[in-house]
Amino acid sequence: MTTAATDAPPILAVDGVTKTFRARAGLHRVRISAVDNVSFTVPAGSTLGIVGESGCGKSTLARVIVGLHRADAGTVRFAGTPLPRRGKRSRTIVEHTQMVFQDPYSALNPRASVGESIGFPLKVQGVPRPDIDRRVNKVLEDVGLHPAYSTHYPHQLSGGQRQRVNIARALVLEPKLVVLDEAVSALDKSIQAQIVNLLLDLQSGYDLTYVFISHDLNVVEYMSDQVAVMYLGQVVEFCDASMLYQAPLHPYSQMLLSSIPTLDPTQRAENVLADSGDIPSPLNPPSGCRFRTRCPFAMDICADKAPAMIEARPQHSVSCHLFDREYGDPARIAATKGE
Amino acid sequence: MTELTADDLRERWYQSEVSVPPISYWSVVRRRFLRNKLGVAALIVLILIIAAAVFAPWICPYDPLVGKPADRLQNIFSFSTGHPLGTDEQGRDMLTRVLYGGRLSLLAGFVPTLVAAVVGTIIGTWAGLVRGAVGAILMRIMDMLYAFPAILLAIAVGSSLGAGLSNTIIAVSIVFIPPVSRIAESETRKIVTSEYVEAARLSGASRIRILRTQLLPNVLNEIIVYSSGLVGVAMIIAASLSFLGLGSRPPTPEWGYMLESLQGDIYVVPAVVAVPGIFIFLTSVTFNTASDALREAMDTRLG
Amino acid sequence: MIQLTLRRLAMAMLILFGVSVVIFLLMNVLPGDPVATLLGPDASNADRLALRHSLGLDKPLPTQYVDWLGRTLTGDLGYSQYRRAEVLSLINAAWVNTAILAGFSALFGLVAGVALGFAAGARRGKVVDKVISTFGMAGLSIPSFFVAIILLTFFAARWRWLPAGGTSLSGAGQGGLGEFVRHLIMPVVAGSLVTLAITARVTRASIVEAYQADFVETLRAKGLTGLQILRHVFKNALSPVLTTSGLQIGYLLGGSVLIETIFQWPGIGLLLYNAIEARDLVVVEGTTLVIAGTFVLINLLVDLLQAVIDPRQRYALA
Repeated sequence: MTTAATDAPPILAVDGVTKTFRARAGLHRVRISAVDNVSFTVPAGSTLGIVGESGCGKSTLARVIVGLHRADAGTVRFAGTPLPRRGKRSRTIVEHTQMVFQDPYSALNPRASVGESIGFPLKVQGVPRPDIDRRVNKVLEDVGLHPAYSTHYPHQLSGGQRQRVNIARALVLEPKLVVLDEAVSALDKSIQAQIVNLLLDLQSGYDLTYVFISHDLNVVEYMSDQVAVMYLGQVVEFCDASMLYQAPLHPYSQMLLSSIPTLDPTQRAENVLADSGDIPSPLNPPSGCRFRTRCPFAMDICADKAPAMIEARPQHSVSCHLFDREYGDPARIAATKGE
Repeated sequence: MTELTADDLRERWYQSEVSVPPISYWSVVRRRFLRNKLGVAALIVLILIIAAAVFAPWICPYDPLVGKPADRLQNIFSFSTGHPLGTDEQGRDMLTRVLYGGRLSLLAGFVPTLVAAVVGTIIGTWAGLVRGAVGAILMRIMDMLYAFPAILLAIAVGSSLGAGLSNTIIAVSIVFIPPVSRIAESETRKIVTSEYVEAARLSGASRIRILRTQLLPNVLNEIIVYSSGLVGVAMIIAASLSFLGLGSRPPTPEWGYMLESLQGDIYVVPAVVAVPGIFIFLTSVTFNTASDALREAMDTRLG
Repeated sequence: MIQLTLRRLAMAMLILFGVSVVIFLLMNVLPGDPVATLLGPDASNADRLALRHSLGLDKPLPTQYVDWLGRTLTGDLGYSQYRRAEVLSLINAAWVNTAILAGFSALFGLVAGVALGFAAGARRGKVVDKVISTFGMAGLSIPSFFVAIILLTFFAARWRWLPAGGTSLSGAGQGGLGEFVRHLIMPVVAGSLVTLAITARVTRASIVEAYQADFVETLRAKGLTGLQILRHVFKNALSPVLTTSGLQIGYLLGGSVLIETIFQWPGIGLLLYNAIEARDLVVVEGTTLVIAGTFVLINLLVDLLQAVIDPRQRYALA
């Protein structure tokens, strides 16, 4: 794992990004707020983990970052250059931001051989044929597959092998930023470990910055330098990975962490926070704080006013009224300062 | 025994893994199809029928249009007089007429299917891609045509255009376009949002390129499976139109029309009358069986 | 549910409108001059123009369509010069017969099809399955008019067991229930063979698929017997069968042209066939409209029925 180079300029800066989908429910047109006013920066060479339950907008955010969806508001900057709101993305951005998809089965064109799939981005960029073959072979070896696999078809490969091919396709343009959208979630545990370690090796070898999206907190902890916790389209907590796992502040983060099975009996009793309900529909998110319907500490203010991001501790932001000077819980605030 | 290094192990692992030869999708389909004995048998019979029809002028010693009235209505298996399938009411050799008739019937099966596959794929893919008003209007027009029972629409179009084989072909093509475009549209919608198309978009490929390399090969897959089942249906509809007097006009032999014109002699030589019907059935059943086998072979769920 | 009904109703109205446009265009735009047909080749040019004017054929096409639709909606389907009768009265006299024939064919084809498909699906891979599947494939591939000719040859001509055509309902031949059924047997069998075959195939496929579903595993684990499981499987397999049955009734209506012609069954199909022979386009137009309209309404009913039976469909359709 590489550590965050804090003084380097951020390779990715997401600022106030909002994405709403229009849909129809019955006869009404509705707006689904998938990502709501999300901001963060990712320093070069580090890994940002994004966690949250399914449907919290993680995948949408991933697609906005790489430009598959255009944000309705806010900007995504790659190494200082903003992504265009409309029109073609510049060649530099295409070459430097790539994505690895969740489903190793549907992410590969069933009619294309492994070599064709990996070589496709090179072909689009106009790389000459012999160079394509050479680079495809190299990247195949880098992801731990023999170059002979380039003539194989996806249906001949196992799930883990397919995911290696997906990673190879993302890497063949030698990008700077790779967004991994649940890249290991569909795999068996043993394969998952192989792929996670492969990703870490590649990160140092290719000098990559990762945005690692997953609902699996264990993997995120292992992979990430910083973590953003998302709930219903909003980032509710942002801090160093170690900090989140030792002392989560937001009640939602605490709930997520307490749901991880642990083998350590001394930790079991702590932080047990019962989940008190289902995720509300993103069609009609609760007023004020979106988490209040499930929050065991919800106060009156939570229904009236949406909490702002507060830096409760250095390098540790949380969006919760409990840590607000005006409405908050003095004991909690004191506890954060006491550390 | 010598010590194995990590690299040696890695090399061995590679070797064992890669020993599987590359198999393209189509070779898998071929292998699976050939394993289906019924499908292969149907395909062989079908190829024989098609070949016999295509080469009819070189195979048949008789004229399909002019017969000897003296030889009229001989029963089938009249090998002594040289008419293995008998003769019709004008003394024309039935085998000759059936093979010549097969040319038109097969044409009436293939051409509409091909036309509908091409036009339907274009309409459906277009509608699935552009969405919006144009796509919606196109698909609603298809829904409206689809709201007719197939044979009724064919009859309506046929009776409006007038009798004749080419009009029958046009009518059946129009009948088949809506279902094909529906399949193409839903398949397109499914593929456009698939992760491999997203990956292709990420690599900066143009819409045309994605259409050509990612979308069409996969849409066509579904269309091929569906269309292969349409040939038999097209033949039956065309034969029905001929039977109703809307199809091919006398004296050109076509199976549906032959059945209609022989109908009156059914009490004299029922087996001869049945010949064109049996050929329609045989061709259609082999087409449908082969199509079923193809569907099973192509539904590989390999990804 | 009410919203769904309204929505499907609106959709059906839209499709009916489209159907009327298609039929109007087919009859009025495509080649074939009704004036020439009516007057014959010897008529003078002035006569033709006069008739064109009196028929409203000199007006622009959209106006013609609106006029035609207006008349159609008020029940005026035109006057057949050939039959010397109102088209609506011709259809009125015929539709009961078609409804009887199509109704019995649908009943026979669907019930027998479901039964056979169910038997094949439940005994998948066994001899029963193979026999039924082969039969289904054959039924699908054989033209209904050929079946009709075969039936006629043996049952009517050779053995004289059944009447060759017509119906006992009209005319003098009032022979009671027995006679009614005897007239019905051959048209129903010939006409419903395709329906039977398709229904059997769909049912079989649907049963086989339902057997592979996870819930069957659960039922087995719970210790249910084969027969009890079969009941659950059947319930889950019913939905695609229902969908196809709506389409099947439409095919029966379309196929009635052939069957009614061969068996001289005095229904809408025979009316349409005679009109085609005589190039009596007004009747062709009217009968096509009635058949297609019925098809749309039946599919609407099937859709709604499905939503009542299978709650999942309510979301799928909405």
